[in-house]
Amino acid sequence: MDLNELQRDALGEVFNIGVGRAASSLSQIVNDTVLLSAPEVMLVHRSDAAKVLLGSEFRQFSTVSQHFSGAFDAEAMLVFPESNALEIVRLMVGPHMSIEELSEFEQEAMCEVGNIILNACMSALADLFHLSLNGTLPIHRFGDTESLAFLEGDEQQMILVLQVDMTISQQRVQGHILFLLSVASMQSLLDCLDNYLREQGLL
Amino acid sequence: MTTALECGTLCSVIDNLEVGVIILNAERRVMRWNYWLAARNCHSTEQADGKLLLELMPEAVGTRLEMAIDHAIRDRMPSLLSPALHGTLLPLYQNAEDRKRNRRMHQLIHVIPLIDGPLQSACLIQITDVTATVSRERVLRQQAESLRRNSFVDSLTGIYNRRKFDELFALEFAKAQRQQKPIAMIMVDIDQFGAYAALYGNEQRDLVLRDIAAELKAAIQSAGDILARFDNERFALALPGMEEKSACLFAENLRLRIGTLKIANESEAEGKLVTISLGLAVMVPEASADTHTLLSSADVALYQATHEGGNAAVCFSVEEGHFHTCC
Repeated sequence: MDLNELQRDALGEVFNIGVGRAASSLSQIVNDTVLLSAPEVMLVHRSDAAKVLLGSEFRQFSTVSQHFSGAFDAEAMLVFPESNALEIVRLMVGPHMSIEELSEFEQEAMCEVGNIILNACMSALADLFHLSLNGTLPIHRFGDTESLAFLEGDEQQMILVLQVDMTISQQRVQGHILFLLSVASMQSLLDCLDNYLREQGLL
Repeated sequence: MTTALECGTLCSVIDNLEVGVIILNAERRVMRWNYWLAARNCHSTEQADGKLLLELMPEAVGTRLEMAIDHAIRDRMPSLLSPALHGTLLPLYQNAEDRKRNRRMHQLIHVIPLIDGPLQSACLIQITDVTATVSRERVLRQQAESLRRNSFVDSLTGIYNRRKFDELFALEFAKAQRQQKPIAMIMVDIDQFGAYAALYGNEQRDLVLRDIAAELKAAIQSAGDILARFDNERFALALPGMEEKSACLFAENLRLRIGTLKIANESEAEGKLVTISLGLAVMVPEASADTHTLLSSADVALYQATHEGGNAAVCFSVEEGHFHTCC
């Protein structure tokens, strides 16, 4: 199973609408311009997702996950290297705080940032594809790639990987959004996507 | 077997929960405003019933809470509003005194879509009071900060202590080693300070230590320079990037600066003033060199300066193995 160029572009467009909305919510919270873009969409097997994350020099990660269900089921996860996550919170909470001082707030603040981004992506998808999706509240965790249970397991599952570039106070921070879908759910998502492309007269 | 709870019982449960609960219908009107909330806000359960939330709490207009409510009702997406980013968003107070002083409680807010059964497109807002946690964390943070400061600052003089010096000096030494650049080390000792303390007392001795530390600190020019109280009346100064000639001038200048403080010392036979002796060594550390070599060279130079009667700055040339007076 793979994405053709048209599907990849369309998903990229949908998610960029989502992260664009998230950026305006985040900008409002911090009273400063927050920019978000998702320059790359990839579809990989679960076993290959770790390579995408391990490809970076980082080993410790901050993750925010939410489960979405409805037309298809997906576990969505925003993953930042731990140092980048701390940098985001530091930039959002205020420069007067040092990274050491953040520990108290970092969990919930990071959880909220993830919640805003993931909700925005999924609701953009739901809006454009005319779907109804329900979500759970976000959960935040710290861990290394080995402890990401998300990436383990035998069943055939696909992961939609989005690279995310975030700019706060002129500082660029990179991370990824992962959507874990069963083969059946992935097929439902692709069907929705094709319907959307047909609607747009592109298919 | 589970017993189906009747609606009235469930409402009573909601009303008596020890967290704030607001249930809104699709028009954003209040369907439930529990007792916890009524006790911490100026609106009673009856007053709030059927009102628009944004009329009851105009503070929420244009905030992320308003967006989160729209998101829950329209898109069925739940949201979390963290205390770090929103703190005291709603006008909720722990007691009347706090209300009078406008001291709001710190809040963690969850906005959850209610989509089942007759409550289609409604939304649940759950508010938790995290004020105690926030203030406890604040105290812990202040304590951690003060412990951190105390662990590297000498409490009498306010400059770095020996532990911090060892740590920073090792870093600068390794940097000089990597970059093959010079690093200068100056040891400073107050002349005949035991006799001074015996004559003037410990309180006066502490004042002099403080004054001399302040004067040495004022003389430091570069941000990379490290000044510390090394032990009782000795100070250590590491100057990364400084050549022997400049370091000699700098050491001599320090000696003269302390002289200009004109601190009376009747126990001193000559001059009757508090003076210092300085030992200096400079090296471009080779790969095999360690901090101990430079430290002990500066120490030997200091011993030489003291041995020759004090009030002098002596340099020990590590390469040539001889002493010369700085001037």
